[in-house]
Amino acid sequence: MFGKLFSSYASPSSLKKAGVLGMNSRNYNFISKYNRRDLYPLVDDKVQTKILANKIGINTPGLIGVIEYQHQVDNILNIVKDYKEFVIKPAHGSGGKGVLVIKGYTPDAFTKASGEVLSYNEIYQHISNILSGLYSLGGKYDVAVIEELVHFSNIFKDYSFQGIPDVRVIVYKGFPALAMMRLATKMSGGRANLHQGAVGVGLDISTGSALKAVMRNVPIHLHPDTHAELNKIQVPNWREHLEIGAKAYEMTGLGYLGADIVLDADRGPMMLELNARPGLAIQIANGIGLAGVLKNIDDTYPSGLTAQQRVDFVLGKKS
Amino acid sequence: MLKKFASVRFILSLGLILSIIFAAYNAYYKIKYWGFNITPKKMTDVWTIETHISFEPTGEPIKVSIASLSSSKEFKILDENIIAPGYKTKKQKKDGDNRLILTTSAKNEPQDIYYRVLLFDNEDGKGKMTAPVPPAPQKPVLDEQRTAIAQELIVQAEKLQGDMPQKFIRLLNQTPPNSTVQSFFPVRKTQQDIAEALSSLLSIKGVPNRIVKGIKLEEDKKSFNPDFMLEAYTGSRWKLYNIKTAQVGMPEDFIILQRGNAALLDVEGGENSSVKFSVLKSISSSFNLAGKRAKLADQKASFEFSIFNLPLLEQNTLKWLMIFPLAILVIVLMRNVIGIQTMGTFTPMLLSMALVKTGFWPGLICFTVIIGIGLIIRAMLSKLNLLLVPRISAVVIFVILIMQVMTICGYRFSLEIASSAVFFPIIIMAWIIERASITWEEDGPINAGKEVFNSTLVAIITYFIISSEYIRHIMFAFNELNLVILFIVMLLGTYTGYRLTELKRFKPLAKD
Ligand SMILES: Nc1ncnc2c1ncn2[C@@H]1O[C@H](COP(=O)(O)OP(=O)(O)O)[C@@H](O)[C@H]1O
Ligand SMILES: [Mg+2]
Repeated sequence: MFGKLFSSYASPSSLKKAGVLGMNSRNYNFISKYNRRDLYPLVDDKVQTKILANKIGINTPGLIGVIEYQHQVDNILNIVKDYKEFVIKPAHGSGGKGVLVIKGYTPDAFTKASGEVLSYNEIYQHISNILSGLYSLGGKYDVAVIEELVHFSNIFKDYSFQGIPDVRVIVYKGFPALAMMRLATKMSGGRANLHQGAVGVGLDISTGSALKAVMRNVPIHLHPDTHAELNKIQVPNWREHLEIGAKAYEMTGLGYLGADIVLDADRGPMMLELNARPGLAIQIANGIGLAGVLKNIDDTYPSGLTAQQRVDFVLGKKS
Repeated sequence: MLKKFASVRFILSLGLILSIIFAAYNAYYKIKYWGFNITPKKMTDVWTIETHISFEPTGEPIKVSIASLSSSKEFKILDENIIAPGYKTKKQKKDGDNRLILTTSAKNEPQDIYYRVLLFDNEDGKGKMTAPVPPAPQKPVLDEQRTAIAQELIVQAEKLQGDMPQKFIRLLNQTPPNSTVQSFFPVRKTQQDIAEALSSLLSIKGVPNRIVKGIKLEEDKKSFNPDFMLEAYTGSRWKLYNIKTAQVGMPEDFIILQRGNAALLDVEGGENSSVKFSVLKSISSSFNLAGKRAKLADQKASFEFSIFNLPLLEQNTLKWLMIFPLAILVIVLMRNVIGIQTMGTFTPMLLSMALVKTGFWPGLICFTVIIGIGLIIRAMLSKLNLLLVPRISAVVIFVILIMQVMTICGYRFSLEIASSAVFFPIIIMAWIIERASITWEEDGPINAGKEVFNSTLVAIITYFIISSEYIRHIMFAFNELNLVILFIVMLLGTYTGYRLTELKRFKPLAKD
């Protein structure tokens, strides 16, 4: 029995050899070293991220409006009057909490992406909850962001159950280092969060094609719900994906960040959000240790390049 | 960057080593000089000595002066109290003689004063009290006849064995006494007579001496007179002699009440005064005494600034606080080395503190019930779509109500388990419920259960550490260890190795 227990654990040296990055090392050697604390608000606050992104020329869903105070909640219909569809989300949210995607509405019936219909009161309540901090880190008072809907490209339709696939790129010192695509499953409740049971597909950083796929740490080949072949995935507009990541470095000054990118059918890759403390599951999806990749960047990549040059450099690394 | 990193670790390691040395030295010092034990000694004898003074007032203002106990090599005073209504009390120290002075205006009724002292054995004193070299004694004033007898006795004593005081003691205690001895004493000689005679004889011989009055501590002794002994300065140190057996040294369980020839009790404005002693033996947890014991054991100023110099109440608070750094260390280890994710950093700690107060099983059952009921109520609340702050407030109020009901039921049906509800921190409970129910809604009941379970698990482990009498004793008695813990915690802040749970999580990536 002990043997079995033991065999489910790897030895630290074998992980080190594989260049696996652990949480402690991530926090100490990368986040605390390359991400200045005062820069966090730039990525933790989705309004600020959006404004910065627009300045530097990164594609993001257009901002429709911001609701800051309770008394403005009743303005919602006025704010969205020029739009047929919109998304409401907390500015300081995480993990998709409190994101409400409205596909169409009348003044008292709002249709969610899932088809569920909400009353005006429920929308009002939802925004109030956002303002009161229900979905935000530490329950601090928050503001509600209302932004344009992303029309997801149909390319990955077969690869995702309900939710929308997105691409996460880890960017180190401005160089895209690792990338994966996250696909929602029935198990993950249509959400693209790996710990909830979404599928993670590792992507070749220089080509955007699938390397391998895992679900709950277990390698898989077919999507559990749609049965699509996961290794066939090839992300289009790969260069633009990488550009978003690379530019995010200049935009925020964060040496170690994660960029979440979705593919809009009309406008191409769009940055949905940035993360100053991106998770480590991406290593499992890729089957590649992050520490090794980051060390390689430290040791062999040139410095002083522009965002475009860095992308060129990464694309040129085709193996 | 790498250099800076290395130097942070270097400095912290250095700090750790220094703090270990410091703690080790202090532990050594405390064990050696303050008599601290590594293990909490369970029980210690505590003696209560009651001095009962009674007298009849003469109608003048009253001043009572009584020899009072002071800490000795063997015994320390734990507590004392005086029952003397209407009297002003004052302590006086004169020529190494401690006296308690009580004064009041004139009275008419017979007076009774009680002076109670709690003593415990001072096994930590370990020969710290040294006496200065005394001056040569004054020759006693004896009439001619007695001087002659005394000279005769001195000659007789020379033939006996032992040192000078012993010779005299043996001579005076011979049975049957020879005629010289008999003529030196009144018909019925008391202990006091013998002691005084010995003192005179030694003074004639120029040996510094003093009469010692003390109490032999025996279980439940009532209304007795103090015992007499004699101290003589021979061989360049004070030696204590039993005036009957001539045995040298402090008898076991003997406490010195007074040294010197002054009266035990002096009453101005009173007559027919008497003083009687009673002794009562009890036992007390020696851990409770550790602070007092240490405080009394050492005369050095360093002590003034230690925890053990504080009043017992503050000590108890600190004793409670002293265990926290260790608990924090455990939680840091759990999170950063083992890799267990808990709800907030200090929730487990607060839970474990509550468990200490409630006891393990009652606390755990109670906790589960509160959280369980709380989650059900919270699920109902979520249907009402309340705003965050009012909703959490409602949960807090519900938690309070649950606790109230449990406590009342617990009392009504004498269920100890239920009545421990009040010890759980309300806000923490409400917060756990809120967090768990959000996780429940978002990630399902399994994840919510996992979160609560992890936090509880860490709390239980922490509980076993902080509830251990042994560990608490160590952390309190050798509180410098907290400095060591501080450096360990800071060093853990630079620990960049894998967490135990990551060894499993990243197993698929392992390369051999
Ligand atoms: N503008 C949008 N249009 C369509 N879907 C969106 C939009 N914004 C967010 N979403 C959906 O909500 C999810 C979470 O949004 P995101 O902005 O990443 O918030 P969070 O910080 O909570 O992860 C996305 O993965 C996507 O599925
Ligand atoms: Mg997201």
